[in-house]
Amino acid sequence: MNTVLSRANSLFAFSLSVMAALTFGCFITTAFKNRSVPVQIQVSKVLLKNVDDFTGPRERSDLGFVTFFNLVKSYLCVCLNVLLHLQPIFDWNVKELFLYLSAEYSTRSNVLNQVVLWDKIVLRGENTKLNLRDMKSKYFFFDDGNGLKANKNITLTLSWNVVPNAGILPLVMGSGHVSLPFPESYETTKSY
Amino acid sequence: MLSMFKSIPTHMDYKGQKLAEQIFQGIILVSAVIGFIYGLIIEQFGWTVYIMLAGFTVSCLLTLPPWPMYRQNPLTWQPALPEAPVESREKPQENLKKKKHK
Repeated sequence: MNTVLSRANSLFAFSLSVMAALTFGCFITTAFKNRSVPVQIQVSKVLLKNVDDFTGPRERSDLGFVTFFNLVKSYLCVCLNVLLHLQPIFDWNVKELFLYLSAEYSTRSNVLNQVVLWDKIVLRGENTKLNLRDMKSKYFFFDDGNGLKANKNITLTLSWNVVPNAGILPLVMGSGHVSLPFPESYETTKSY
Repeated sequence: MLSMFKSIPTHMDYKGQKLAEQIFQGIILVSAVIGFIYGLIIEQFGWTVYIMLAGFTVSCLLTLPPWPMYRQNPLTWQPALPEAPVESREKPQENLKKKKHK
């Protein structure tokens, strides 16, 4: 500690260790918090189409041409309203929230299908009362086959990923969901 | 340029170094506690970091330059020995050499 440089070295190293301890303290104070809030989802319109899907692998096209299993798929358009208040989740350890709406259903070929229809990033400081009306789905809702036609039960749930300043990233499901049956035939609009 | 920086005296004595270390550790710990509590209250971790940085700057100003309070107990060196015995030994040898040449 005789020269300026050695004093500066020990001061800097000490303050970095103290910063690491503070960050750990920040993580510990919010690690066991429940981050789920109630969510309301309402669906206004569902439209079902049957279209050619050119995004699948072409190596299976020989078999695919013989049967229509891989080539022709069902496609869905959903309009919905979402209402939720996110203020209780934001504390001093949350940097942003990544919300996504997923649809879950089962078909004859697959037991469980989960498709993400829409997502949004909510930063800290932005408006946390989300009242979204007449929203269309952001991503295509393709089914692997024709399992959406006359499907009795499709569940839409809103979940989010909490991105913290320090610590693990929990995946939380909102406590509200809506289940709805789908139209019986293609190219017809079903309103709710 | 570097020799100019090296010629500025920055030493402290031992008691001064111990005092400097206690001062900066105390300041940084106090500012860390204050920053943690303040950040917890207003729910923003950024303020905790700002208060910590303020504490770091204050302790830099207080302990890096060698203030006079760190030089209160200087080491007492022994006084330097005078150089007279070395010169008196050489002179009789020169006198002897001159006598021999004659």
